[in-house]
Amino acid sequence: MPADIRSFFGGKPAGTPAKKDEPPAKKSQKGRKRAIVDDSDEDVVETKPKKTTPRKKQAQREPSPVGETTTTSEFFGKSKPKRSEPVKSKPATNGSTATPSKKTNGTTASSTKTPPSKPRTNGRTSSRKKNPPKPADEIEDDDHAFDDEDLEDDDVFEAGFKKGPRHDSYKKDLDEDEPLLPQQRRAGRKQKPTKADDDFEPEDEDVEMEDVEEEAVKPKALERNAKDKPASESSSTKKRKSPELDDEEDDYASPKKGKAAKRSPAKKKTKKDEVQDSAEVQAILASIPTIRAPSPPPKDGQSAKFNWRTAGNATAVPSAAGSKEKPVGAENCLAGLTFVFTGVLDSLDRTEGQELVKRYGGKVTGAPSKNTSYVVLGSDAGPKKLETIKAHGLKTINEDGLFELIRKLPANGGDSKASAKFEEKQQKEAQKVEEMAAEMEKEERRVGGAGGKASASGKTAAASGPDSRLWTAKYAPTALNQICGNKPAVEKLARWLRNFPKNQRTGFVMGGADGSGIYRAVIIHGPPGIGKTTAAHLVAELEGYDVVESNASDTRSKKLVETGLRGVLSTTSLLGYFAADGEKVEESKRKLVLIMDEVDGMSAGDRGGVGALAAVCKKTQIPMILICNERRLPKMKPFDHVTYELPFRRPTTDQIRSRIMTIAHREGLNIPGNVINALIEGSRADIRQVVNMLSTAKLDQSNMDFDQGKQMSKNWEKHVILKPWDIVTKIMGGGLFAPASKSTLNDKTELYFNDHEFSYLMLQENYLGTTPMLASSIHDPKERKLKNLELVEKAAESISDGDLVDRMIHGSQQQWSLMPTHAIFSFVRPASFIAGSMAGHQTVFTSWLGRNSTQGKLMRMIKEIQGHMRLKTSGDRHEVRQQYLPILWEQLVNKLQEEGKEGVDEVIDLMDSYFLTKDDFDAIMELGIGPMDSKDVKLETQTKAAFTRLYNQRSHPLPFMKASNVIAPKKQAKERPDIEEAIEESDEGEVVEEVKDDEDEDVDVTKDKYIKQPKKKKEPAAQKGGKGKGKKAKAEVGEDSEEDEKPKKGKAVAKGKGRGKKA
Amino acid sequence: MALLVDKHRPRSLETLSYHQDLSDRLKSLAQSGDFPHLLVYGPSGAGKKTRIVATLKELYGPGVEKIKIDSRVFQTTSNRKLEFNIVASVYHLEITPSDVGNYDRVVVQDLLKEVAQTQQVDLSAKQRFKVVVINEADHLSRDAQAALRRTMEKYSPNLRLILLANSTSNIIAPIRSRTLLVRVAAPTEEEICSVLKVVGKKEGFKDVEALNKRIAKDSGRNLRKALLMYEAVHAQNETVSENTPIPPPDWEALIAQVADDIIKEHTPQQIMIVRAKLYDLLTHCIPATMVLKTLTFKLVPKVDDTLKAEIVKWAAFYEHRVRMGTKVIFHLEAFVAKVMRILESFLMNMDF
Repeated sequence: MPADIRSFFGGKPAGTPAKKDEPPAKKSQKGRKRAIVDDSDEDVVETKPKKTTPRKKQAQREPSPVGETTTTSEFFGKSKPKRSEPVKSKPATNGSTATPSKKTNGTTASSTKTPPSKPRTNGRTSSRKKNPPKPADEIEDDDHAFDDEDLEDDDVFEAGFKKGPRHDSYKKDLDEDEPLLPQQRRAGRKQKPTKADDDFEPEDEDVEMEDVEEEAVKPKALERNAKDKPASESSSTKKRKSPELDDEEDDYASPKKGKAAKRSPAKKKTKKDEVQDSAEVQAILASIPTIRAPSPPPKDGQSAKFNWRTAGNATAVPSAAGSKEKPVGAENCLAGLTFVFTGVLDSLDRTEGQELVKRYGGKVTGAPSKNTSYVVLGSDAGPKKLETIKAHGLKTINEDGLFELIRKLPANGGDSKASAKFEEKQQKEAQKVEEMAAEMEKEERRVGGAGGKASASGKTAAASGPDSRLWTAKYAPTALNQICGNKPAVEKLARWLRNFPKNQRTGFVMGGADGSGIYRAVIIHGPPGIGKTTAAHLVAELEGYDVVESNASDTRSKKLVETGLRGVLSTTSLLGYFAADGEKVEESKRKLVLIMDEVDGMSAGDRGGVGALAAVCKKTQIPMILICNERRLPKMKPFDHVTYELPFRRPTTDQIRSRIMTIAHREGLNIPGNVINALIEGSRADIRQVVNMLSTAKLDQSNMDFDQGKQMSKNWEKHVILKPWDIVTKIMGGGLFAPASKSTLNDKTELYFNDHEFSYLMLQENYLGTTPMLASSIHDPKERKLKNLELVEKAAESISDGDLVDRMIHGSQQQWSLMPTHAIFSFVRPASFIAGSMAGHQTVFTSWLGRNSTQGKLMRMIKEIQGHMRLKTSGDRHEVRQQYLPILWEQLVNKLQEEGKEGVDEVIDLMDSYFLTKDDFDAIMELGIGPMDSKDVKLETQTKAAFTRLYNQRSHPLPFMKASNVIAPKKQAKERPDIEEAIEESDEGEVVEEVKDDEDEDVDVTKDKYIKQPKKKKEPAAQKGGKGKGKKAKAEVGEDSEEDEKPKKGKAVAKGKGRGKKA
Repeated sequence: MALLVDKHRPRSLETLSYHQDLSDRLKSLAQSGDFPHLLVYGPSGAGKKTRIVATLKELYGPGVEKIKIDSRVFQTTSNRKLEFNIVASVYHLEITPSDVGNYDRVVVQDLLKEVAQTQQVDLSAKQRFKVVVINEADHLSRDAQAALRRTMEKYSPNLRLILLANSTSNIIAPIRSRTLLVRVAAPTEEEICSVLKVVGKKEGFKDVEALNKRIAKDSGRNLRKALLMYEAVHAQNETVSENTPIPPPDWEALIAQVADDIIKEHTPQQIMIVRAKLYDLLTHCIPATMVLKTLTFKLVPKVDDTLKAEIVKWAAFYEHRVRMGTKVIFHLEAFVAKVMRILESFLMNMDF
């Protein structure tokens, strides 16, 4: 069909020259007729207020056709009907009589598509032409009372109008419809009925159309009946019609850009001039989608969405379920509109949607308010938002609606009120930008002049030459009002600085209005690039202070802070400081302010610097301004209470935009507002970065479009490393695994690499806390429980797999290339099973680390215990833990617990028999678990005290020789340092030295040493053996008996032990 | 007053109460003057160490019993310092290289060479060689074992090695071929009962045959465990009867709780509760394999017959993983999740 039609159309103009000749004459008529038509419309309008807007549109359109040549007009006249037909047929499909009509839809749709393929101009003109005929139809049809329907259904659109009438015409005389249009053009309305048939038959295209129509007719008729009754259905029809609107609107929009020239520009101007009219027209356009989802409550919204989607599919969207093509619309077409996104959209993720809106100049806000133009509704919309939507009666659309909007709306938002406002705003802004630019220029010239004067002799050349400064320096604010954002903070800073001398006189006791009077120093903190340093310098300058600056490039250790600042801080030296500067300074008695920049950059090299600086802050006699990024760091703690805090926040986009635009303007860069917005947002309001980006851009281009801007800000993106908590929340609760999510496997893996040491641990810690999405569709609670368990099981298994990979990485093989595999196994895959809402679960930090270190600690204790028990027992440490400890606990800890003081003696005896120390006793207590948990052990303080006292009174056998003095002969040279180390660690300086001496002697005669040492050992060993049998080494109070712990070394030790035991 | 198990430990080969033939062989070995390297293996609590000590006494006389602990510092190639304890008498050294984990090679190389390169100076000593007893030989790393093999031959005039292991499976073939394998089987329950009886008699405890049998059974033919249990029972009860409950060790009690938790409820939240307890066990130095094994044995009697095989299968599966992996809790948790799922789907009469 389409091909035929085309050929037809193509042929017609050629074949119909005769007709064309006629039309010119008729055209003039048309003009008149239109006027008439308008009148008739207006009449209708009077009766029904809603209609007013559509008619105006028509009125606007009328002018455009006038300019066209006859041939085109004819063309369109014919083509239009076709378009309209598809629309009609759609309603049929929607209606109860379904299948046959659908087929027709398909064909019609294809036919509809063909016209657009023809040169656009045709399309546009056609739309305009349509309008005129329709009114005529209406007038005729009014008799049939279709008006009412139209009014109800189609007020909003012209399209509605068109269709409405056509339907009517179909009802009554199907043939008439298309004929009508030509007739009107040629002959006028009165002739229609008769001529219609005549015209119709001859024209082949029309015939084709007819067939389609005829098929569709019956359904339509049925539909009509239906329409008359339920209002909801009517709304659906509107939606269906909207596709047509798109075409029309597109047509409408494009003329403005391109065809303005072709058609009499004067007319267009008139459009613009009639702000109201045009605005309303646009409003109508804008309102199209609203009608589609008129129902604020979520359910209605969904149903509306469904309808809408079907309509959308029919027109443009190839219903590939998952991904929809992103619409391409006119530039800035959403200008002045405010959007709110809520819920999960079908094919877009939230950020994509928002970016889409921003790309076309729309504004996105977080929460709906009465200023919101549209709420883009997805599934699971927030109830709060729905409430406000209802409260304010906001228009809700779904993502297809958004797409339609973008496709349909003309550039710069057309002439709608919103866009008008927007334009106005933009104009104002542009004006402001120019003003500022001018001012800046003036300023520059002034400064340049002054500089020239000052450096009269030598430096004039430099001043007048091309400015080689960085843009960030060049465009640094020179007045308070040029600082972007943070107005209150800057004012506070200025006030504090102004009042400083006064406060100094009163001794910093009066807080003043904002409580800043008691501080001698101020700390400004905030993210980088928002003007902290600039503000500090500017304020200092404006308040007449001379600035002494110190930043991270200076070493600021404790010593240097103390000595280096001494000269600056005391008032006496202040005078001296300035005396050298010349008389001028002396006269004005300029004051000094110390700006300490990048305070949090005081690092390892600046040992003690922070503390010293904080101390200085307490007693300084000149104002100090400290600047840092992170105030919350623990190392910034010393500044608490000694400095007045001035948090700087990121300025909003609006606060920066004009400044940036000024700069761009000054530099001759042509960058639209939304691109600048994107840049600013991309850099997270880092002014310096935006300026730098502009300066880079200036190097090779003079303008920038949205995509370039996005690209650039992405390239400059500061990579935010997510914290483990955020990582785990994002992977499990972030909807990354939702069916609609666009995130790739790579994206998810990337998350793991944000912190590859913690991400999987955190996941493992928290994966049991979700409500898995995959199980949420099961309604039987039992089955869901099972499904949940299955998912958890799979996740756990995957984590277990991941650990095997981890072993390959961190084990002996060191296969670091397996990291991505580890990411998948231990992180992404488990998350894919259990991803879902994390409501009711608080993300906790991984307990593995803590547990692991506890295990290490307890393991060391066990080793210690086993080491001590070794002489008596044969088990390794596991056997000691599993078999000995329970009974030891019973006989030691529990005995004390139950028998109290009476048990102490026995307990100590038992401990001595196993060479257990008091530390071991505590370790045994700590090692208990379950029924022997150390938390449940309640030792009476009395018992404890008695135990400690008694234990200390007695001397205890020590099997232990700490730190060996036996050294492998070969290794001696190497190992000696070790021994020293070991000795140092043992805290027994003197003994150590003795031992060392011994060794040195021994070293000379290696063999001797070997002989000697066994001897040394033998003695104690023998004694111990004796001890072992005789045991009960009672406390003999020798010199060393009190300090049992000490005798660790060499002979002294052995002797000490021996004595104790024998006695 | 030491615990019974140590108090009544036999000190000579003659007093050993079971495996008489083995004792005889050791005795003749010791007296032969040509004492070979020994690899003594057998389950824990079978009396390996006791036999070795007795053999050493047979070799050197009572001087061997005069032992002390020596602590030495070794330096690894990466300059890390290792503190290492050696139990030593004049005639022998006893070391546990696995104490220092992966650095055991350093210890084995340095220490053994040092010992081996020096001759026995005490002319009155019965033997010309010294003995080094290596505990937990099956935990020696491959490197350390490789370091051992040559030493064994090269320094055999000065040095004899006695390796102690639970099984020979982890010991490389070259070492196995250089040693005399001595298997010390676990005592039978009757043998344990007789030992308990003797000990009870010495301590003056009331002899309750049935209780002893129960202890022997519960101990899993581990004499040390049996003796400690025996002592625990008697320490906690003035008078014992056949039905006196045997107090389980703390960790076993906790694992029993875990098993109950798993049976009781099958939800992710329950897994979290179980995880906390498993963590407790692990941090308190109960090896993961032991946890898994005990847990399985506690679970199996509580589940339906059709599930038993399945559970044991997965226990084996995850025990393997515990050994293969590093973060044992992951595998234990996966096992718990698996068991819960199996139980739950069984409850829902579904096949899995």
